[in-house]
Amino acid sequence: MTASAWTPAPVALPLLAAAAVALFGHKVPRFVRTVIAFATSAFTAIVTAGLAWASLGDPIVYWFGDWAPRGQIPLGVCFVVDPIGAGLAALASVLVTAAVTFADRYFDDVQAVFHVLMLAFLGAIAGFCLTGDLFNLFVFFELMSAAAFALCGYKSREPGPLQGAINFGVTNTIGGFLVLDGLTLLYGRTGALNLAQIARTLGGAHDGLVIAAFALITCGFFVKAAVVPLHFWLPDAHAVAPTPVSVVFSGVMVECGVYAVARLYATVFAPSFAGFVPHARGLIIGAGVITALVGGVMCLAQRHLKRLLAFSTVAHVGVMVSGIGLLDARAFGGVATYVLGHGLVKSSLFLTAGMYLHRLRSVDELELRGRGGALPGALFLAGGLALAGAPPFGTFGGESEIEAAADSLGYGWLGIVFTIAAILTAGAVLRAAMRISFGWGPSDGEEDRGERSEETETRPGPGLPLAMWVPAAVLLALAFVLGTLTGLDRALRESALRFQDSSAYAARVLDGVVSAVPSAEPSADDGSSLPRSLLVVVLSCATAFAALFRERIPAGVRKLAVALLGGALRRLRALQSGHVGDYVTWLVLGVACFGALSALLLR
Amino acid sequence: MSPRTRRILFYFGAAGLVTILAWGVLGLPAYGQYQGPYGDLVSYAAVQSRHATDVVSAVNFDIRAIDTLGEEFILFTSVMGVVLLLRKRVEPKDVDEAAADVATGREKEPPSNAVRLLCLGLVGVSVLFGLYIVTHGQLTPGGGFQGGVVLATVPLLVYLAADVRVLHQIAPRKLVDAGEALAAGAFIGLGLVAVALQEPFLTNFLPLGTTGRIDSSGTIMAISIVTGIEVGGAFVVLLSSFLAETLERIPEEHRGEP
Amino acid sequence: MTSNDAISATLRIAVLLLVAVGATGVVCTREPLSQAVTLSFYGLLLTTMFFVFQAPDVALSQIVVGAVVSPLMILLTLSRIRRGKARETNPSQPERS
Repeated sequence: MTASAWTPAPVALPLLAAAAVALFGHKVPRFVRTVIAFATSAFTAIVTAGLAWASLGDPIVYWFGDWAPRGQIPLGVCFVVDPIGAGLAALASVLVTAAVTFADRYFDDVQAVFHVLMLAFLGAIAGFCLTGDLFNLFVFFELMSAAAFALCGYKSREPGPLQGAINFGVTNTIGGFLVLDGLTLLYGRTGALNLAQIARTLGGAHDGLVIAAFALITCGFFVKAAVVPLHFWLPDAHAVAPTPVSVVFSGVMVECGVYAVARLYATVFAPSFAGFVPHARGLIIGAGVITALVGGVMCLAQRHLKRLLAFSTVAHVGVMVSGIGLLDARAFGGVATYVLGHGLVKSSLFLTAGMYLHRLRSVDELELRGRGGALPGALFLAGGLALAGAPPFGTFGGESEIEAAADSLGYGWLGIVFTIAAILTAGAVLRAAMRISFGWGPSDGEEDRGERSEETETRPGPGLPLAMWVPAAVLLALAFVLGTLTGLDRALRESALRFQDSSAYAARVLDGVVSAVPSAEPSADDGSSLPRSLLVVVLSCATAFAALFRERIPAGVRKLAVALLGGALRRLRALQSGHVGDYVTWLVLGVACFGALSALLLR
Repeated sequence: MSPRTRRILFYFGAAGLVTILAWGVLGLPAYGQYQGPYGDLVSYAAVQSRHATDVVSAVNFDIRAIDTLGEEFILFTSVMGVVLLLRKRVEPKDVDEAAADVATGREKEPPSNAVRLLCLGLVGVSVLFGLYIVTHGQLTPGGGFQGGVVLATVPLLVYLAADVRVLHQIAPRKLVDAGEALAAGAFIGLGLVAVALQEPFLTNFLPLGTTGRIDSSGTIMAISIVTGIEVGGAFVVLLSSFLAETLERIPEEHRGEP
Repeated sequence: MTSNDAISATLRIAVLLLVAVGATGVVCTREPLSQAVTLSFYGLLLTTMFFVFQAPDVALSQIVVGAVVSPLMILLTLSRIRRGKARETNPSQPERS
């Protein structure tokens, strides 16, 4: 079989396995179910990696049902496989494999339903990343959300955790409605659902409908991506979801929202807003910067490990959104590398938090003080350093590319924002790692407590099973190795160049015109990225020490900091109220603001 | 946030959202003027290339079948989620539903003769109608989804006419679960058969027959039937999960009493 | 406009108005039990709207899902909640699972 014949496999095989496990899963021993889920997701990882490799020179266009376009109007649905989409699908497969392995030892009884839902989730993400059709994108978005809602409510019978799942469900469903509204507007105007066909038919039209559709679709996907002020669901969902589920949420689900915004802007909206590039940049980068800063600050204020990691995901999503907001191929290649590195590292951190929960019955940083074991502690520390962007983890390479692009476009101040966000989040993780492993720092503090109910999700056992620490270590090792692959940067940048070219995309999909591989200029490494990242690592450690040994800071400095920031910080923390009405209000306000700004800036 | 603040902020935001939506809608083509070529092309293609007269089913089960696969799995996954969240360990034989009404200790009255007659009369009609809609998807409006939901109301009618034990007798949980999963897998299986025949996934590979006859349109009817089974099964599972919530276990010492 | 066009235009406007009024009615019904009933009726209104706008496939799905399944789920959920409340106020009732 040629490479392109394998295109439907990342969707068909996980869904088929999900149906099979639903059919006879409860009759076979639990080990068999884990093996089926492991084998399916591992095989999907190989297939998607192979597709990414095969599509390096030329995207693979696959028409379902043999409905290739006759006379340039496509009737059927197509998948357009390029290295970026296939790479994201491969990341999802790897994370699901790790989560399924971890869950085998983590849960004391794993029902068949868990594997069914994880496999359906994987199939949905694979379809989402590979598709070239707008409604197909929405369908897989909804399937991903349905599986996610169910997984979030797994094992929670108390009303408190269920509220987190309800908040997640309500806000993301509203996000889905927003996407559907925008989609309907685009279909009403163009009469087409194929992305390339929409791009061609719109032809750079630029009136109220296009701007409204852009605002609605972007905000809908920003809900999934947890961009401020649409982010409130993420910490609640992470706090209540079991650990293997948080792995896939933070590792790949929110990144899918970022990917969708980038894909739709590059393919459909870029020609329409070609005359307004600085304004569009400002709009998206603004959203990203606010997200990065709010996420970082809230991250420091948490003592519940999973909420801490959730807020750090929000901060990193801010970095990603700013990166795609630069609307530049080099930045976009950097974001792709960053997504890969961040997904692997964050998942490893979540798995380590799960190990703490399994052995020590708590994910509260202050409760765990000094009780951490050697192996989880090492993993947590290494993960913290990777989050800070220590070379050569993937986050380092990605961030330096984004900053180089920002510099060349005149947005040099973005580098400072990224640095602050990295220092805040890595500082929080390092603080937690040092407090848990070495017992430094006070045993009480004013950080947020968070929920206490997921102690029931796993029973403590002696020692640390292989199936629990091996995935965490392997994920970190993968992030390390990916950062050292020199060809990866260039490959991603080339596919980013092709990604950004809307007319070449339309020509390839509709007319079958194969364009030449765009030449990516070699990365002009001015050598400033390495010292900068080392500075970030040092400052993160300093932040962690400052939090741990705050009595040693002179009282005057401390009082000054509290006076300046205390009130604002308290109000910010109060916003995360847990009340779904509050979240929906902020969502609606956010969408209205984004729409108003789009109307003002992009006309 | 106090409720009043929330309401004021929400109204502001909602006003903005409505303005954006209205602005977008104003840019749509005028009512009744269909601009895009897709509708005309697909109507032509469905009849000429697939010998189907119901274009909606042709689009659902052939031209955009991968969308329908995703939608079907959304239903499948959502019902799995409902079953997960509403897990109960009540066996039908342990339950006597006439023992107490669930709300406030009222006695449950047996269904009146009028309800019984109406429901039992409707059962036959609904089964026939549902099967008709499922199998004639390629000819007349309908198809797998619509027929499946009509078929799923049949156990509900039986429940209204009798009680939950009869519901579990005619729609045993294990059978319905298995049927639903099997049908979901069969949809993908039909797509993979096309791959085995060196065609793209979900290609129509059965003979197309003559337009207007029930054996036309190749795999459209097969996929329609498979979808009907899956959707009907999913809704029956959904309804019986919710119904199980209202059951009550008789204490051990009272079991077996009339 | 021929008389056919006039009739169908009137029908469409009428059903759209009914749907708008029905939706407002559903939202304004405060009591959940009553809301299940208004939701069921609203489902029928939507079915009529889809039929009048020449989408019989959608109307067929909407009949069962909107008018039967959704209100039924609401009613069953309400009865479950009330049973829980009755148990709280009257602990002498037999143990429910």
